[in-house]
Amino acid sequence: MIADLKSATIEVWEHRELLEQLTRRDIKLRYKQAAMGFAWAIFMPCLIVLSGLIIRFAMAQISGQTLKRVDVANIAIKGVGWAFFVGALGFATASLVGNSNLVTKIYFPREVLPLSSVGAQAFDTSIGLLTLIVIMPFLGVRLHTSFVWIPLLLLLLVLFTTGVSLFLSCANLFFRDVKYIVQVVLMFGIFFTPIFFEPSMLGVRGAHLAMLNPLTGILEGLRLSVVQGHNLLYPLSVVVKGVERPVWEPWELVYSGVFAIVAVFGAAVMFRRLQHLFAEYV
Amino acid sequence: MTDVAIQMDAVWKKFQRGERHDSLRDLVPAVARRILHGARPAAELGANDFWALRDVSFEVQRGDALGIIGHNGAGKSTLLKILTKLLRPTLGTYMTQGRVGALIEVTAGFHPDLTGRENIFLNGSIIGMKRADIERRFDAIVEFSGIGDFIDTPVKRYSSGMNARLGFSIAAHLEPEILIIDEVLSVGDYTFQGKCIRWMQDLLKSGTTVIFVSHNMDAVLSLCNSAILLDHGLVASKGELTKVVGDYYKSGGRWKPELLAQSNARTVEFSCSHGNDVLVDPGERVTFSHTISATSDCELTPGFFVTRGDKPVVDTTYARMRGHPLRLREGETATVEWSLAFNLPAGVYEIGYHVGDFDGGYHEHQSRACIVTVGDDPRVRGDAYVALEMMESATGVHTPSPARLVAGA
Repeated sequence: MIADLKSATIEVWEHRELLEQLTRRDIKLRYKQAAMGFAWAIFMPCLIVLSGLIIRFAMAQISGQTLKRVDVANIAIKGVGWAFFVGALGFATASLVGNSNLVTKIYFPREVLPLSSVGAQAFDTSIGLLTLIVIMPFLGVRLHTSFVWIPLLLLLLVLFTTGVSLFLSCANLFFRDVKYIVQVVLMFGIFFTPIFFEPSMLGVRGAHLAMLNPLTGILEGLRLSVVQGHNLLYPLSVVVKGVERPVWEPWELVYSGVFAIVAVFGAAVMFRRLQHLFAEYV
Repeated sequence: MTDVAIQMDAVWKKFQRGERHDSLRDLVPAVARRILHGARPAAELGANDFWALRDVSFEVQRGDALGIIGHNGAGKSTLLKILTKLLRPTLGTYMTQGRVGALIEVTAGFHPDLTGRENIFLNGSIIGMKRADIERRFDAIVEFSGIGDFIDTPVKRYSSGMNARLGFSIAAHLEPEILIIDEVLSVGDYTFQGKCIRWMQDLLKSGTTVIFVSHNMDAVLSLCNSAILLDHGLVASKGELTKVVGDYYKSGGRWKPELLAQSNARTVEFSCSHGNDVLVDPGERVTFSHTISATSDCELTPGFFVTRGDKPVVDTTYARMRGHPLRLREGETATVEWSLAFNLPAGVYEIGYHVGDFDGGYHEHQSRACIVTVGDDPRVRGDAYVALEMMESATGVHTPSPARLVAGA
């Protein structure tokens, strides 16, 4: 297992220029002959934020509250993260099959194909993040010391996404229906991940269930450290109708972290062990 | 470090006929069956399995050029895919020493929407070049391809010839230690092909080990120094070039004479003065004897022809040479001798004969009675082997006796 990881790391590192070229290719192709140009990069996050606002508006109508400016920030930061996850998986799942002409003709570490999909999506997402940085102050976000958590959370997001991408690209090569399963799961996944809502809105048990989704710790962590200025080392709760509901529990971070690392290493080992079959099965 | 660049040791590769389960729905029953009956050992064939390669062993020394020939489906591509790490052998081991480069489907890494320039960098890194190397050789690649001003045009606007030329030029600048070539010399027009052949010869001179797969026997003969013949995954013949090439033609299936009509005379023997499947020097004279015996009185005309890659080189008949047919009585046997000086360029020539009526109908036809390979005279090039002499004279202080160089016989 260690040998698999070692050979994967060495080979991908030796082919880092190829990874860079393929990432550039994927980025260029998204913007070549495209009517929307770079607006495309923030198109999906914008749609996510708009959908979230409609849902929050409906919730506010029922509970008789008003929608606050900071709610936009709450949804936007998680929406960008979710858009990265969904976008990367969408492209990565098809990456090996879509490049079957390369997979069957030329040898190079096949990891670079899903990795370049994640890389290209990371480029798009960084445009989204830059946009967020510009508009965040207008949404009432102030600089906090809790911002130190951001790099770690982004790293976990990238690791987890990479792991799932490696796994799905490989699975889709052997079983073509994986792509359709992924599409459906991602379409409804937004309701199983706290993007439009916060886990605490689901009640005590609901909140704990929502926290079992490894993305919850990462995305909620981002929201709390950026928008709320909350230090993730401490738990946070809210009292609704005399009952204390959890908003944040520090174990979430450990849980998501372990998940991300296991995902990326597990998928990398699986990918390595199966890649000699790719040219034959694709 | 030994001087062996490639070594294949009893390599077997198993493939499966037909569709395999490729949706998750089919996986579950397949896995269940596997758990119940246990996995099949590697050396055993299932109902739909077949061996694409069977016990293939060979060795290539550093700097040598090995030709791999065989009919379609013989296992050539499978062998190349194993050498380029795309497939793993089911059984057996192999090793390669040195950086392996492949000239196989040279445009596989191209993306139609990217420009020629962008594709050079993309495709270059896909086949394993470093960016610094690509930058250094960029001008040479563009120059070799002859793309010129179109380098900043998306390759989807290129003609297929331009596309292939660019792909080939990138791959040609990879500078590997072991180069694997699969039928790519047919790329581009006549001048570009000439360029490719010269490039290959330079490569061989510089000590690159080459594996060359082709159906073009002339190219194999001029570039390689040994060959293996694959037949249904087995090494049917290996070693000396002309012998292997002869075996290739023999295995073509057209070896048996065709009897086209009932006749009262037939060929008893057709033989060559040098033996079947021979290598001759350019200009060398070879005699072919055609023996015919008659079962009843008849008039007929034996014919003789030489072809090269399905193109006729010489074609004549007894009647055309003599002006009258060959007359035989019942039980008589006649031998016609055809003597031919091979004033032909290096290549593989197929010798054939036929027996026909005086009015042109054939009784018997055999297009590959034997194979004559004309060796290369590297000093002279051309469409025919014309005995050419060169004379030299000089005046001056240190004049040596006038040198006289003679080419050909």
